[in-house]
Amino acid sequence: MALPLPPGLTHAEVAFLSEMEMVTVVPRQRLESIKLLSGATPPLRPPARADLPLWLALLLKKQRRANIVPPPWLHPASLHDLIHRETKSDPEKFSAPPPPRPARAHASAPGRSRPLYDGESVSFSPPFLHGCTAAAPAGYLPYHWLEVAETLLAHAADDMPAPAGEIRGLVRDLVEVRAAKMRAGIGRAGVLGDEDGGFLDLTGVGAIELAENRGFVLGVVDGVRRIGASAEASRREEEEAGGDGEEEDEDDEDMGI
Amino acid sequence: MDIDDILHEVDPVADTVPRETRDLQALTRAWVAERSAPELLKWPADGLFERINDRIKSQIEKVEEMTGDMDPKTNFALIVIQTELERYRYLVRSYLRARIAKIDKHTLHYLSTDALRSRLSEVELAYATRHQALLHNHYLSSFLASFPPQMQNLNDVSGSHNMIDSPDLDSAVFVRLLRDTMVESRGVDVDGALEGKDGSILILRWSDAKPLVEKGHAELV
Repeated sequence: MALPLPPGLTHAEVAFLSEMEMVTVVPRQRLESIKLLSGATPPLRPPARADLPLWLALLLKKQRRANIVPPPWLHPASLHDLIHRETKSDPEKFSAPPPPRPARAHASAPGRSRPLYDGESVSFSPPFLHGCTAAAPAGYLPYHWLEVAETLLAHAADDMPAPAGEIRGLVRDLVEVRAAKMRAGIGRAGVLGDEDGGFLDLTGVGAIELAENRGFVLGVVDGVRRIGASAEASRREEEEAGGDGEEEDEDDEDMGI
Repeated sequence: MDIDDILHEVDPVADTVPRETRDLQALTRAWVAERSAPELLKWPADGLFERINDRIKSQIEKVEEMTGDMDPKTNFALIVIQTELERYRYLVRSYLRARIAKIDKHTLHYLSTDALRSRLSEVELAYATRHQALLHNHYLSSFLASFPPQMQNLNDVSGSHNMIDSPDLDSAVFVRLLRDTMVESRGVDVDGALEGKDGSILILRWSDAKPLVEKGHAELV
């Protein structure tokens, strides 16, 4: 009954999440709006484009009821650009995530654009950010980029803007560049070298890349913390007592609770 | 009716996101957080699960009504509705099971103080209490009864060691910032502080990330 999984999302769970990403489809048949638990779907009227969650788009694609419009960042030009940026212009960091909160102009009220999602009560995050629709910006990888790219390449290869093999090759290159960065980042960010300031910045990383490295990264960070626990406790005591700490408690496993 | 509904009536152009989508975002976030955090998090207080359960119930009824209809058009809609229903129920189930796993692991810890007890929902509290009672009775009848009376407790905190096992609150977690905010972190060598940007992903100790997550300035990923 209880979930027998360790903390942190597994690959399957990340894939499940990525299927909630919105993608743009071009319907081939009419389909009335369906009232779903997550809200009503837009009525489909060919050839008007509509945004649907990926799982539904795949279902329509399989039954040849719609074609999927690949997101602009999946075009070979955008991927080339990204690989260039990841290797040449900024080889230290992951390329930036899409700019937050895209604004949307109102057709009925020109000049009055507002953030796509406003209201302070809920701030939206992937997979609800529309980072994989046709309106997403090129040259930025959304959080679920790899899962969505792989899914689209596997199930909608004929809708791709270039031969699927070419895109797949570029995606592979990007994966490898970023995986190397992930490993190098752990060493450079201070965990194994300089001072450990208690945080690591991984901005721009993708969901599946996180899932893949979660065990290793968290293991390293937690291991370093345990090894340094007594040093940290004595430093803290010194800071508190103004610098006259002499004998420290060795057993500080549960400090800070 | 909440503030968004009122705003929507006054200004129908306003593109507010429907409540259903916001609830799905909240449920997804709660699930990811519960799957990633080292300790049990608060049960959502704003009636999220009541709303979700009601919706699932009425959706199931709708499916039952539609199954009688053999028209191919409704048939396809039915497939879509059932697929979505299964996805939704998987989320809810996985969330509850992740919580039960944590309750099972540290039952006495979560029952030990009122603050910790308040994190559990009513059903979970009943489950934890009963589970612990059964376990204690079983231990008593199998071996505990033959110990001296002063050693029969399972929750002794008086000695040098605390018998109640608790989760490691300093374990590292991944968080995503949801707005620009100041992040303070404790490290082995120095304590860090940085001005976090909206959308940044950081590795932090859970004890440092917790205040940010509770204020809604960050979420676990």
